[in-house]
Amino acid sequence: MTRLERPRWSTAPAGSLPPVPDSDPLPGMIEGRQPSVVFEHVSKWYGDVVAVSDVSFGVAPGVTGLLGPNGAGKSTILKMMAGLLTSSTGSISIHGQPARGRPAAYRRLGLVPEQEQVYPHLTGREFVRLNAILQKLPDPDQATDRAIDVVQMGDAAERRTGGYSKGMRQRIKVAAALVHDPDVLLMDEPLNGTDPVQRAGLITLIRRLGGEGKTVVVSSHVLIEVERFAENILVIVNGKLAAAGDYRAIRDKIDQHDHAVRIRANDPRRLASALIADPATHGIRYEGDGMIVAETSDVRAFYRAIPVVARREGVRLFEVQPVDESLAAVFALLVER
Amino acid sequence: MAGSFLWRPFPITALTVRQFVGGKTVRVVVALSFIPCLFAGIYLFNSDFATPANFLSDLFLEFPIAPTLLPITVLILATAALGHEVEDRTLPYLTLKPVSRLRIVVEKLTGVLVVAIPAIVAGLLATSLIVAQADAGATLIEAKPLLPVVKAMVIAAVAGTFLIASIFLAVSLVIPRALLAGIVYAFAWESLLGRFLPGIRIVSMRHYIQSVYVSVLGDPLVTIPDATSLRSSLITIFIVSVVAVALATWRLRTMNLE
Repeated sequence: MTRLERPRWSTAPAGSLPPVPDSDPLPGMIEGRQPSVVFEHVSKWYGDVVAVSDVSFGVAPGVTGLLGPNGAGKSTILKMMAGLLTSSTGSISIHGQPARGRPAAYRRLGLVPEQEQVYPHLTGREFVRLNAILQKLPDPDQATDRAIDVVQMGDAAERRTGGYSKGMRQRIKVAAALVHDPDVLLMDEPLNGTDPVQRAGLITLIRRLGGEGKTVVVSSHVLIEVERFAENILVIVNGKLAAAGDYRAIRDKIDQHDHAVRIRANDPRRLASALIADPATHGIRYEGDGMIVAETSDVRAFYRAIPVVARREGVRLFEVQPVDESLAAVFALLVER
Repeated sequence: MAGSFLWRPFPITALTVRQFVGGKTVRVVVALSFIPCLFAGIYLFNSDFATPANFLSDLFLEFPIAPTLLPITVLILATAALGHEVEDRTLPYLTLKPVSRLRIVVEKLTGVLVVAIPAIVAGLLATSLIVAQADAGATLIEAKPLLPVVKAMVIAAVAGTFLIASIFLAVSLVIPRALLAGIVYAFAWESLLGRFLPGIRIVSMRHYIQSVYVSVLGDPLVTIPDATSLRSSLITIFIVSVVAVALATWRLRTMNLE
């Protein structure tokens, strides 16, 4: 049974979230399930700056969302999980083995890093094949074809990655991370830069991988996206684990707070006039350069309304993103409660 | 796919070669390798002061090949091989694989050598060909055969390339601006201080490269102060290169990749 829980080492005051008794499983874990990834009292600091503070959780097979505002420490946690960074204190294990210093363990691990950069002189196929060869797969060509098919990049596979769009680079990185069919897949903001169709495809893929029993950890700062694929959520705020458990309970808490959403469109005034009539919208302000910021107290209804209104008014949407400061306030609410 | 036969057995070497050939790096390296041809061209117009063999020896030993051009040409490649992976944050694509860190370093070093050695040797051969066109009979000094000089230059350049590449591959994992540090080293340490402070020779790459050259050439008239024997020079170059590879491997194993 999953439940919303406050980590017992959290410095946040107790409120609506009950304290976790010592006998309980690690935060994020479902009772009776074996964790693939375990963080125990992990901290990471750079000089005087604390990036991650005394975080403990377990991640079981299935999809787990690592949610938090930008700069909360999500990427640091994923990099420590992948063994790219050492932790300052605490221990991190994957399948019961230390996460760092064991190259052989990477046969069972895949990482989709946040940075967009891939080797620009290689074609998409060459990049994925390079990963297959480095994984020492018996038939790298077949594995490459399969991974490229999974992310639906067959048409662009022979083009150099230097000419790819942001969304295409994300998908080819996913193919490279999946080419050896890992048990544990870590994805750092994989939906960044993808268009709605690519996003839908990646979300379907993430859900499928979780359904196949793989341990998939996906970081994001957008709850509305995470809830489409993650059954379990770890919320990171200011480097601390603010909440862990079933996304529905966390969502209910987050939904009680006002949200600000930034929208870029070809006709922002027309869109704003139409959106303000929608009951989900509180207010709208112009930010210039085709940009408006809408405030809503019912973010779910608002996100549903945007495409409907835009299509009705004949307005093209270029970008719909939650405002970071607004998100930070929403996540901070979780800690304060 | 260029060099596709390399990919399966040596994927990181093939990637490194591709990175160099696909970017501007290889063009800069080829241009630097052929700079001695300009000096050779000038020599053609006024070849009275030295025989072709003597001119080539001076060109290699004193200016500009061994002290300046060879170090700069090699360090451009060596610092880019892993340094650019760190700067571009693409190194995790290599380190998050079941591949030993030693293999990553050795394959990267091989990639540097695969690009550097042909470019440098081609530059030396082209320079030698131009110099060979000079009318040696016009000089008062007895002309010597050119082939031993070319052979000594090529062997010394290959040994030097191996040494410089190993050292600066490691340096690129320790110092963020390794290329800049390397250029300062090549100009300040090897070219200037090395000329005036004899004690520096013992820790000078140039000294061992020059020692290999004079030893292989075996001409008693062509020598350098405190030249080490061929055997000692090659052993020193080998040991220093192995230590540099070990340092790079250790660094790759322990460094944090942001």
